Amino acid sequence: MRYPADPDDPDHPAAPGVRPYLRDTNPGGRYSPALPAGTPSFGEHRFGSHRFDEPQFDEHQYGEHQYGEPEPQPSEQTTSLRPFVLTSGRVDGLDPNIGLETQVCSHVGALSARLSPEQRAIVHLCGEPLSVAEISARLRMHFGVTRILVGDLRAAGHLDVHVLESDFPDPETILRVIRGLRSISS
Amino acid sequence: MDFDPYHPDRAVGTARVPDAPQRPTPPVPVKIIVAGGFGVGKTTTVGAISEISPLTTEAEMTMEGIGVDDPGQASGKTTTTIAMDFGCVTIDQTLKLYLFGTPGQSRFAFMWDDLVRGALGALVVVDTTRIDDCYPAVDYFERAGLPFVVGVNTFNGQLGYNLDEVRWALAVRQDVPILTFDARFRGSVRDALLVVLDQALDKAMKMRSS
Repeated sequence: MRYPADPDDPDHPAAPGVRPYLRDTNPGGRYSPALPAGTPSFGEHRFGSHRFDEPQFDEHQYGEHQYGEPEPQPSEQTTSLRPFVLTSGRVDGLDPNIGLETQVCSHVGALSARLSPEQRAIVHLCGEPLSVAEISARLRMHFGVTRILVGDLRAAGHLDVHVLESDFPDPETILRVIRGLRSISS
Repeated sequence: MDFDPYHPDRAVGTARVPDAPQRPTPPVPVKIIVAGGFGVGKTTTVGAISEISPLTTEAEMTMEGIGVDDPGQASGKTTTTIAMDFGCVTIDQTLKLYLFGTPGQSRFAFMWDDLVRGALGALVVVDTTRIDDCYPAVDYFERAGLPFVVGVNTFNGQLGYNLDEVRWALAVRQDVPILTFDARFRGSVRDALLVVLDQALDKAMKMRSS
């Protein structure tokens, strides 16, 4: 059993028990996690150190904490939220048509609705059309989580999700892509 | 509304419609998959042509991964995280090409169904010194009926084997193009993607005529 961290201890600054992103002092501004100096950044700790192709396991994130084990430090607690907590544990997307490249656009006035911080961040980002993959990358949320939250926001009428009718693009679209790529200089 | 130089209604040479809708119409997204083993140059490929520096999105393996990457009873690990790099090229205001770089190993195949849905085609990046890294991706794309092209990344113009030997090793159909390219150069990546698009066009024409 470990006692609560000493706020004067420079190694373990007394981080409040909130997600780093809620500590942002500028809630209306662009999403930018504000972190106390010396703590690993939100992205580094949760995602950033992962090498491409190499799944990594974070003991704090995935390991089972048992009674009697030392509790993680406050700074770790705040950054090791399991991803699907944000979706109340749901792992199935509401809409299988929402893919990585699906374009999302927020409704005017959606920001005034009562939303969770993550949903608010999505609505804020999507003032201009954005793909689900970009939302996921910019908010550093797992794609699966992003997809579910986008589906929720769409169901609540806060987001326009532009689902394509056909699975495979028509020849005219492909020809336009070919012409567009050809015009790129090397 | 603030001035937005990229707003479609402000494009050069078109009259701006008064009382334009507040939200621009999103472009139609199309995507090409860049697959291959670890360190063969997928991210370099995406970065060479993307107008944004490649972003990374994380995907979570949950229930779908059981049996594919079974972590075993004792570990208590129920999730695996993989990273996927992507970039985009704006063709015009109504069309945007996305490139998704994805790990080629079979243990990540759980998410390929998501990736492949609606994709135009795939560029399988191959390093001839580790050619077997791309086998699962080639297998998957063949089964899924996705047009694909094998691009041998010539690190500094060096090619350990000629393309016939690569074709023999991969045992792909004769109509699957195998080409060399250099992932660091935009023109080279562009030409490789154009071959993928040619394949996609063939498929789209066949789909239309049938």
